[in-house]
Amino acid sequence: MRRPGKQGIGSHGGRVLAITMNTFTQLVRMKVFYFLVVFALIMLGSNFFDLPQHGLPETFGFSVLRAVMSWSLGAMTLFSMVLAIVATALLLPRDVEDRTLYTILAKPVPRIDYLAGKLFGVLLLLAVSLAVMDLVMLGVLQLRMSLFMGQVEAMEAAGQAAEKVARMRAELLANGPDWSLQGAVVAVFLRAAIMAVLALFISTFSTSTLFTSIVSFLVYFLGYFQADMREAFLRTTGEGLGVLERGGALLLTLVLPDFQMFNVIDAVIEGAAMPLAVLGKLAVVAGFHLLFYLLASWYVFAGKEV
Amino acid sequence: MMKPWQRLGVLAAGLLAAGALRLPVEARWSEEMRAAGLLRQGLQVETKAKIGQTFYAVALGGLRTLVATFFNLRTIGCYESLDWGKMDEIYQTMVTLAPRTGEYWIAGAHSQAMNAASYYRNDTFLEMSPLDREANWRAAVLRGREFAEQGTLNVPDDWKLQAFLGLLLTDRHKYRVFGDPDATFEAAARAYRAGADAPDALPFMRRFEMYSLARVESRRGEALELARKLYADPASRNPLLQKVCFALEVWANPTVVDPLALAVEVFGSEQRAYRELSQYWLHGGAGLPMNGVAIALAGLEAKLDVPAAESVLQQSVSRGRDGQDLEE
Repeated sequence: MRRPGKQGIGSHGGRVLAITMNTFTQLVRMKVFYFLVVFALIMLGSNFFDLPQHGLPETFGFSVLRAVMSWSLGAMTLFSMVLAIVATALLLPRDVEDRTLYTILAKPVPRIDYLAGKLFGVLLLLAVSLAVMDLVMLGVLQLRMSLFMGQVEAMEAAGQAAEKVARMRAELLANGPDWSLQGAVVAVFLRAAIMAVLALFISTFSTSTLFTSIVSFLVYFLGYFQADMREAFLRTTGEGLGVLERGGALLLTLVLPDFQMFNVIDAVIEGAAMPLAVLGKLAVVAGFHLLFYLLASWYVFAGKEV
Repeated sequence: MMKPWQRLGVLAAGLLAAGALRLPVEARWSEEMRAAGLLRQGLQVETKAKIGQTFYAVALGGLRTLVATFFNLRTIGCYESLDWGKMDEIYQTMVTLAPRTGEYWIAGAHSQAMNAASYYRNDTFLEMSPLDREANWRAAVLRGREFAEQGTLNVPDDWKLQAFLGLLLTDRHKYRVFGDPDATFEAAARAYRAGADAPDALPFMRRFEMYSLARVESRRGEALELARKLYADPASRNPLLQKVCFALEVWANPTVVDPLALAVEVFGSEQRAYRELSQYWLHGGAGLPMNGVAIALAGLEAKLDVPAAESVLQQSVSRGRDGQDLEE
């Protein structure tokens, strides 16, 4: 018997949580975490590229740290995006294939709970994966930092100018792991979350996993043009662009997500600080997409005969 | 129960309405992020031609800095094959992808102005006539300056890049390539000043701004003003600063200041004043003011009983701006 005030399996939250955990377990059993080994190898590999320009006094140490950040966040983007799209695209067809979908929907489980559970399962997988990758990246950065700091101390002991030593130390500390880097990892997660919910939406009317994946990747790349299309629509007058072109630009602007906003990750790699307000804005954008496309998925899925 | 086309219509209307709702917000926020330097313009068509179709797709996928890193790896091959033209092309692509990464600008400018220039002038295996060597050397040095200056426009707050530009412009082997030395040293002073104004810059940037100004006859008044400010802070009062301060004070007040008394006051003792000013005298000044140095040295030699044969004033010194690098 369910205790009053507690979320049991009969509540919306309880049902969503149960499906979320089940989806997460289902995905883990697909051995998706093996990619973390590849990530670790990339991290190790990024340490062995000793470029001639890394030896310049102006860029001592931190150019290596930035390279590690660039490789890490790039790999995180790739893995999270592939994971978000492919894992989501697999879910519905697989549930249909092994009849789990019918078992679930035969019970008093609203379809929105089922879809939300599936989505949150993928999001949990993304969050755990990114957290592990983040830890590996921080570990590598910390290790390189301590090695460089050791070199700086050796320079100090050898009688190098105090100003130069102080500069190197300050540079290393300024380019090491910080909260902006963590903000960039969160931005990677938010972007992947948008793609996951888009893939879920596409999979509700798609006929195959392959179709969902291809269309989702297409949407992902087109999302990087959305801001350009928006600019084309907002900034140009009738002289530069015809009515049809402007109409097309507007249509795509309204339908596609703006992924260029998430390029703030590049700015963080280049040493810029990410204000909390910017991260908040990205979270609002991602939250809006999550809510809207979850409801849209439900709308499509509710009218579907299963 | 709605018909399928009706459901589709509702869905399409919902999609467009949601898009219309977020359009102004996304446009405003993107503009704000761009103004804050967190977002850049989209990639240009010529970049696509340079990086190729595959990399373009990757760069579009929010991985511009990663693609820039791959290109950074390609420079190893250029260093090995001494292909400086290709190297320049690669760095140009890298800074297009990651324009806010100061070290790419520094490395690109360094590869031309230092590595390539040195190769054309000194490589014994290079089969090239002396005239061609000289022409290529000049072209590489000029390209290095151009690249560094482009960088300072993109990352004006990167003090290391400004320091590199200042260093290049005042390099005793290279400053003549840039034409009028006064204009070149003034440009160096501007670079050092821009760098010194950055919040994380080290104090030597302001000193180097002052040295660059002091090397231009018409800017010595400003140099003196700055030198006095720097001298007031004991932490930046290093030997070269003391020497330049001394010479500028004599330059500003040639009839009022007694160089001998001032030298002892600035350096603390007759012995130290003689040692430091002797070095400065032999150093050649690198174009820095030498006002009062000879008078002070003569007075100090008399006081310290330095034999005439050992006088530093008897030693031949080449004057001009080609002295040793500053604060060496």
